[in-house]
Amino acid sequence: MTCDEVRDKMPDVAAGLIAATGEESKHLASCDACAGKLAEFRQTMALLDEWQAPEPSPYFDVCLQARLREEMAKPQAGWLQWFRRPVLAAALTVLMGVGIGLFFNHGRGRYNSGPNQAMADNFGPVEPGTAVSDLQALEKNHELYADFELLDDLQVQDDVTANP
Amino acid sequence: MDRGVLMAPAGSPPAGGFSAAMAGLEAFSDAEVMVRVKAGDQSAFDYLVQKYRRPLVGFMYRMARNAAAAEDLAQEVFLRVYRARETYEPSAKFATWLYRIATNLAVNHARDTRHERAEVTVSLDEPDEETGTTFELPDGGLTAEQALVRRERLLAIRGKVEALPERQRLAVIMHKYQQMGYKQIAEVLKLSESATKSLLFRAYETLREQLKEFI
Repeated sequence: MTCDEVRDKMPDVAAGLIAATGEESKHLASCDACAGKLAEFRQTMALLDEWQAPEPSPYFDVCLQARLREEMAKPQAGWLQWFRRPVLAAALTVLMGVGIGLFFNHGRGRYNSGPNQAMADNFGPVEPGTAVSDLQALEKNHELYADFELLDDLQVQDDVTANP
Repeated sequence: MDRGVLMAPAGSPPAGGFSAAMAGLEAFSDAEVMVRVKAGDQSAFDYLVQKYRRPLVGFMYRMARNAAAAEDLAQEVFLRVYRARETYEPSAKFATWLYRIATNLAVNHARDTRHERAEVTVSLDEPDEETGTTFELPDGGLTAEQALVRRERLLAIRGKVEALPERQRLAVIMHKYQQMGYKQIAEVLKLSESATKSLLFRAYETLREQLKEFI
């Protein structure tokens, strides 16, 4: 047995966690350096024993009890808890953005091919005076209504210059 | 669900010993007891608290150097264990997991409060800042001078252990005061066993050298 092998176990032997084996004892008996080192380690350990930690105070259990009660009273993590995780919240935002983008692109494609026609194809002829027919009228006369808005704006500007 | 001793209503006997419900748990390993905590057995959690409260407060006291902070940190460890009960997997030894939580908390606390630490002084009249105890009057055959020397020695031990590099200090506290073996310390500190042996040997060598005058 070598000095290094004995010194590896020296802290455990000096602390009393394990006893030296037969071979280690033989080595210690024949090696003054290792025996001296072990004796010094034992003295150091005895000195370290003087540093005692206090017992938990009587308040320890009371405080822990109160903190545990508080912990138990907290509401269980629901689906809203999801939003408290920044990475997941960011992922959800991106997904929602992508979803909205796809929805509008898809919608635009449909309108480009003629929404009224699509509606008529899907739902048959539209009766006048219904919300659907009003929407169709708005769609057909979009340019005309835009001109009306322009005229309204001009009217306002005239009023402003007339009454500064 | 069994509410256990710690959850008993106010006025009931304080938690300080094992109740009948907890006594049967001694036959199980701590990891098995923790699995029962995971399943909602409150008395199993109380058992673990009773088993580890003293060593954990001791560990935290030696890391935080302050009895009140040590208790607060030890409570925080138990709270974290309780919070993590549903995700607990008995892949490692329970004590290793517990001390890993405790180590992280203690290291963070030490880093957060390193500038707040007062210089260690000895006063005969004022209570000790860390322990809250006053200077002991000589009894048991100790003269005032002997008591003062003893106190100085104690402060030196504390100061020298605290002055060790963080990992060495943790290793010494776990080895010397928590009676933990190389393997377990290695697992807590996420080191190899041989690195832990070498770390401990160096730490004890430093302590031996620096405390030579008191031996």
